[in-house]
Amino acid sequence: MKTYLSNEFARRDPLLLVEAQAKGRYQQAKRVFTSLTPEQVVDEVKNAGLRGRGGAWFPTGIKWSFMPKELKGPSYLVINADEGEPGTFKDRQIMEKDPHLLLEGIMIGSFAIRAQTAFLYIRGEYLTAHDALATAIAELEAAGILGDSAFGSGRPMRIVLHRGAGAYICGEETALLNSLEGRRGEPRPKPPFPAVWGAFGRPTSVNNVETLANVPAILERGAAWFKTMGTAQAPGHLLFGVSGAVERPGCYELPLGTTARELVEKHAGGVKGGKKMRAFIPGGASTGFLPPDRLDVPMDPESLRKEGTMLGTGGIIVIPEGIEIVDAARVFSRFFRHETCGQCSPCREGSAWSDQVIGRFQNGEGRAEDFALLEDIMRGSKQRTICVFPEAFAGPLGSAIKHFRSELTQVSAQRAVGRAATEGTALHG
Amino acid sequence: MSGSGEAEPKVLPEGILAELRALTAHYPQKRGALLPILNRLQEWRGHLAPVDMRLAGELTGVAPADVFSVVTFYTMYRQRPAGRFPLGVCRNIACWINGSEQIVATVKDELGIAPGETTADGRFSLEEVECLGSCGTGPCLEIDSRYFENLTPDKVRALLARLSRADGDRSAAILAAQREERA
Repeated sequence: MKTYLSNEFARRDPLLLVEAQAKGRYQQAKRVFTSLTPEQVVDEVKNAGLRGRGGAWFPTGIKWSFMPKELKGPSYLVINADEGEPGTFKDRQIMEKDPHLLLEGIMIGSFAIRAQTAFLYIRGEYLTAHDALATAIAELEAAGILGDSAFGSGRPMRIVLHRGAGAYICGEETALLNSLEGRRGEPRPKPPFPAVWGAFGRPTSVNNVETLANVPAILERGAAWFKTMGTAQAPGHLLFGVSGAVERPGCYELPLGTTARELVEKHAGGVKGGKKMRAFIPGGASTGFLPPDRLDVPMDPESLRKEGTMLGTGGIIVIPEGIEIVDAARVFSRFFRHETCGQCSPCREGSAWSDQVIGRFQNGEGRAEDFALLEDIMRGSKQRTICVFPEAFAGPLGSAIKHFRSELTQVSAQRAVGRAATEGTALHG
Repeated sequence: MSGSGEAEPKVLPEGILAELRALTAHYPQKRGALLPILNRLQEWRGHLAPVDMRLAGELTGVAPADVFSVVTFYTMYRQRPAGRFPLGVCRNIACWINGSEQIVATVKDELGIAPGETTADGRFSLEEVECLGSCGTGPCLEIDSRYFENLTPDKVRALLARLSRADGDRSAAILAAQREERA
């Protein structure tokens, strides 16, 4: 199978501009800047059916078409490189190994929405990727590709690299915009949507790294080619992550709709040490747990929706036998409790409270009525806040109850016996 | 515990101040440069002192209380000195499945510090952090955002031994350790 996203991933150091140009890079950006109109670019991407790879799967061309056509003043493209969903490490590969793939996509995307400035917001911890991008942007500036007249088109284009400072919530696009503006990374009420009121109060489109990395290939080979890959509703390849207990964890570029089984068993070499699988997570922490009998599910947004979950970022995490679901669920509840921004009470309280309740099961103190309590916490916070964070923390919680309820009760009961024994020893010893 | 005591006053070099001023030009509103300025100041001092927050506020036109509310929001900002080499061990799902607890235990055995603590000589501090995006290469530990991946207890011991001897420029020492570990 021919790949178009991950060709450089085996490299040790990032691909430099001269090497990239020798491979034909920036020819599409040049063609776009010197001979196409923004409408033509938007139409090509719309026709290709490209959807956002950050987890929401919104059609990219349609998002771009929300941007105003007549502008008084600046508009911006903002790139969401705040990759932080546990189980997700794909954007990092692009930026560390092949920064020019992203930067060409950024140039084309900016042109499509008539933006002359792009802000690339990268999470603070991705310092190595930041350095690779800083070098690549300096190369483009020195070559005159970025600057006052991109490709001699007379059109200015600049890319500002911006480091965050550690906050999962900044992956939410309006939290990211606040953070870019030097504020606390708290999501904004919507509407107004970013296309109307985005970065610094100007019309803005926020796009994920991998999404933009798809764009040069679409311009080069056309929408029809793109639609030969993946599913009818979600065309193209995806950089699937496979991590946890597998023989060969990594990032695998495959068509959307590839089954989780093929990814885990064929590409990632199966469960580590020949163990059995207890559960898998299809697309990052917030997509929750699925039992191994669902491994044949095709990894695309529609198929996973039918399973009651989401494709998310496509980062599969394998939980082996020997690890209890309650302990894995606690890793997530602690994470979400730590990462809630705290501005909406249902989320701030709900994430902490549900962590406490899961903690009871973990420590052998789970009660039968705690299941109803967890359901109540989820019901009381979902769709009652500014952003979808409660939906995220409900992912692992709800799926643990749905698929592993008896196991939660069992483990809690076992640990209650263990506790009693220890306490007994302490009392009498 | 040394390292958290009163250090000698550090004066910001003119060169860095010029860098900070230049950052504000990249944004349509000066406030956009607040995080980049705070990042640079923390890189220089190792943490953010009140004087750093005040300066960041002056350069961006943000009130001191507002700067403080921003600093407290983001996990990477430190208001107290950490160790010279602050170790951040990822505790999230993929690293945990692959043995992050063993990594923390190894650091504890070697240095006698638990998460949240700093060694008496101020050289190392330890904390547990959330997902670093190293899920395919865990367990992972970061030192000032430089990653050490696919760790084993032996690799951790070798890393600590190397950094115990590393004097001179801190960032250079971290990068050298990273190069050696990857070689």
